[in-house]
Amino acid sequence: MPPVVEVENLVKDFRTFDRREGVWGAIQDLYSRRYRNFRAVDNVSFSIGQGEMVGYIGPNGAGKSTSIKMLTGILVPSSGRIAANGFSPWRERTRYARTIGVVFGQRTQLWWDIGVVESFRLLQKIYEIPQAEYEHRLSKFDEVLELKRYLHTPVRKLSLGERMRCDVAAALLHNPPLLFLDEPTIGLDIVAKESIRTFLKEVNRENGTTMLLTTHDLSDIEELCHRLMIIDHGRVLYDGGLPELKRMLWEESTLKVDLRDRDQAAQLAVFSMEGVGVERVDELSYRLRFRREEVQPAELIRRIVNEVQVLDLTMEEQPIEEVVRRIYTGEALHDDAHGTPENARP
Amino acid sequence: MRTLSLIWQYFVQYSKVRLAYRGDFLTSVITTMFGAVAGIAAVYLIFHRAPLIHGWSFDEILFLYGFGLLPLSLFNLLSINLYFFSEVYIVQGKFDRVLLRPVHTLVQILFEQFRIEALGDTALGLAVLWATAPKVGIALDLRFWLLAIVFTVLGATLYLAIFLSLTAVSFWMEDRVGIIPPIYNMMAFGRYPLDIYGTPIKLMLSWVIPFGFAGFYPVAYLLGKEGMLLFAWLLPVVTACFLALAVLVWNRGVRNYSSTGS
Repeated sequence: MPPVVEVENLVKDFRTFDRREGVWGAIQDLYSRRYRNFRAVDNVSFSIGQGEMVGYIGPNGAGKSTSIKMLTGILVPSSGRIAANGFSPWRERTRYARTIGVVFGQRTQLWWDIGVVESFRLLQKIYEIPQAEYEHRLSKFDEVLELKRYLHTPVRKLSLGERMRCDVAAALLHNPPLLFLDEPTIGLDIVAKESIRTFLKEVNRENGTTMLLTTHDLSDIEELCHRLMIIDHGRVLYDGGLPELKRMLWEESTLKVDLRDRDQAAQLAVFSMEGVGVERVDELSYRLRFRREEVQPAELIRRIVNEVQVLDLTMEEQPIEEVVRRIYTGEALHDDAHGTPENARP
Repeated sequence: MRTLSLIWQYFVQYSKVRLAYRGDFLTSVITTMFGAVAGIAAVYLIFHRAPLIHGWSFDEILFLYGFGLLPLSLFNLLSINLYFFSEVYIVQGKFDRVLLRPVHTLVQILFEQFRIEALGDTALGLAVLWATAPKVGIALDLRFWLLAIVFTVLGATLYLAIFLSLTAVSFWMEDRVGIIPPIYNMMAFGRYPLDIYGTPIKLMLSWVIPFGFAGFYPVAYLLGKEGMLLFAWLLPVVTACFLALAVLVWNRGVRNYSSTGS
């Protein structure tokens, strides 16, 4: 099956100029401007297959929004090629628009002053959705999102969580095969987040809807996406699965050991000579630190169980936030930014 | 057809919005009506003393004023989004959403909101026509109403075209100077006999910003003024030219927005 989205060497340059200060500066700006080129998206290539759910993450100003705007046809690329649903998004914008759904977490697409259902009815007209299909879909959406309760409330009176549920439903009313979500869970409480995630998963499973979502909430990625792309300074730093990313960036693993009794401590200390750091947490529990390339976790655990009397062994996972923080601050991945990182997809 | 039904749907939904705020809507209707009546009172105060002004009787001027309300109110009905365009669509970024819908951007901008109060002006204009037509020797027959509809639609389209071109400028720059309000005020000039102005203003209202074609020329033709047949025929031509220009500028503006994102 051909990919749903194909992006090749995508570049977006913005031309800005430094405004001079004061009235005299403003007058000078009229006839001579010092222009600067700013490259927001720098040679990005990837492709997304049908039914994939892809997380697109990166720090603020990394080029996520610019990418989404090009993918949805709002912005024209400076160079490079995009094919999505068989269209060139900006050249065939209007026809392409029928085949995609877009959710902006920060901005609603619903009409502010009228009841939600009126907005839906307008969208039904705009996308020419047959009545039966429209009703069927609405009652289907209601099962997970529980829309019916506030269907007649004006949008401005909805809570953020309710509004987002409606916005997500609105974007999927015409059953687009491709859905873009720009920070769909921003500012939501845990219940609303869960409801939206469950809904997206179900739509993806039932209709095979391809989804690309940007987020700052990494639990979105953990729950929804089998694949994530990390972008910074307009470049893709990583493109692959979350477990692979963790494995790649966890240089140090920790194993927590709870001993049966105090005397076992001496037995455990033996391991510190073999590239394993032994740290005392309290009398009976210790934390072992080691590098995966030097020490194999399975081997280590087998030997500890054989040689030491233990109550419990726990591999401690590094939280994904920590992994991502290290990428954003430049501690990881940035060295080989030009090449394809190991473990990444071809 | 599809676009028409969509426009109707927009209109129905927007009416619901306005009716949701009944007090606000009523106030707005009353102030609009008051403004229109004040306009007619002004015409009365200025012109009723003089028997003939450049060949125009007081009743004819009143008839012109009343007829002029028709294209004007149709324009006002549709132009509400143009006033806030720069602020709401460009600065606040609402235009992104417009670009994501499978409907032409102009249809969305013109028909998403309506100034329903403007229909009050239509009613007032019709009342003035009805009252003054016998005095200026015009029969309100089928031919008249057909011509009136054609002139109203063309006139309103001409107004829209002119203001669309001006609004489209905000795709390139913020209109800090405010070129639109003074030009909006100039619209009123085209609803009096152009002969009362000096040559420069008359030329401008005819050929530069041709508001004269939306008000003065068609009515002068209806009243049987000399040499006006040509101008009546020119109205569709002028409207078509300005509309073509407006769509061209608009589409270029959209393209510019798409490449700069602002």
